[in-house]
Amino acid sequence: MNQHLSGLPAWLVQRLSAVYLALFVLLALLWWWLARPNDYAAWHALFASLPVSIAVGMFVLALLLHAWVGMRNILLDYLGYRPGLRLAMLSLLGASLLAMGVWALRILTGVWTGVLA
Amino acid sequence: MEFRIYRYDPEGMAKPSMQSFVLEGIQPGMMLREALLRIKAEQDESLSFRHSCGEGVCGSDALNINGRNGLACITPLAELKQPVEVRPLPGMPVIRDLIVDMSQFYHHYKAVKPWLTVHEPVPEVEYRQSPAERARLDGLYECILCGACSTACPSFWWNPEKFRGPAALLQAWRFLADSRDQDTASRLEALDGPYKLFRCHSIMNCSNVCPKGLNPTRAIGLIKQLMLARQV
Repeated sequence: MNQHLSGLPAWLVQRLSAVYLALFVLLALLWWWLARPNDYAAWHALFASLPVSIAVGMFVLALLLHAWVGMRNILLDYLGYRPGLRLAMLSLLGASLLAMGVWALRILTGVWTGVLA
Repeated sequence: MEFRIYRYDPEGMAKPSMQSFVLEGIQPGMMLREALLRIKAEQDESLSFRHSCGEGVCGSDALNINGRNGLACITPLAELKQPVEVRPLPGMPVIRDLIVDMSQFYHHYKAVKPWLTVHEPVPEVEYRQSPAERARLDGLYECILCGACSTACPSFWWNPEKFRGPAALLQAWRFLADSRDQDTASRLEALDGPYKLFRCHSIMNCSNVCPKGLNPTRAIGLIKQLMLARQV
């Protein structure tokens, strides 16, 4: 989330994160359909495993990056060039996404450290 | 046949408005341009619009016809729902009636340097190009710069000063794709950044309306691919 995430890099990040998000959602749905986890223990065991933790962590990161590029695109398209307003909106967007990232991190580390268990 | 035509007189006091016309004696196979010419000749000689070749080659009479951009000279009246709403190209400053100021459109065209740039000494005879290399220019060189694509593009409406627009980007690719051109690096460099190329979100309005059946969205995608290939 810096000024260099623009032009080609931003476009590339958007496309790559989209591929990951799509694959993750597809596999997650498939797993849910096959395994039918219906109690807390099953979900907890799932999220406690290292590969799933990594995959979910990457999902959150990809989601945040994807949202940043997409929302920034909308602001660039529709807001026109009003530097003050743009700075305010981008800051608000960045702060919200960061907050969501920290929140997700807290949930995931909570699962790992057993705080939420 | 009923028409509703956008009227604006910069010298008059009235705001832009839609004026209704009824035209009798529509012949089979008649195009919209002919109807506009007859309305001008028979009903209101102050009606202003651009036109020239009358066969879809010059690109002068691009208009918004029933909400869709196209060339009046190759739009058959028989295919149009009545009343036929004729407006100037969207998002452009109107000079008078159906005539718009295309300066910005031409500015973007000029900005992509639509000419061959060669750094090596010019060959003494002719530039050699294989049939395959020549074939890469098909679907690119046919553009007549009518402006139907760029003025159908929301990204061009919202950022007309900064986004090059589909027509100019199609021409940018036309020269990037040319085996004789030696300016690839600086052409790509000039297109990087958030606005000139990357305001395109591939919604394909441009390809949908192009009266010559060209595909600017594909050209834009190929520019992005080339940019990527040269940076990884």
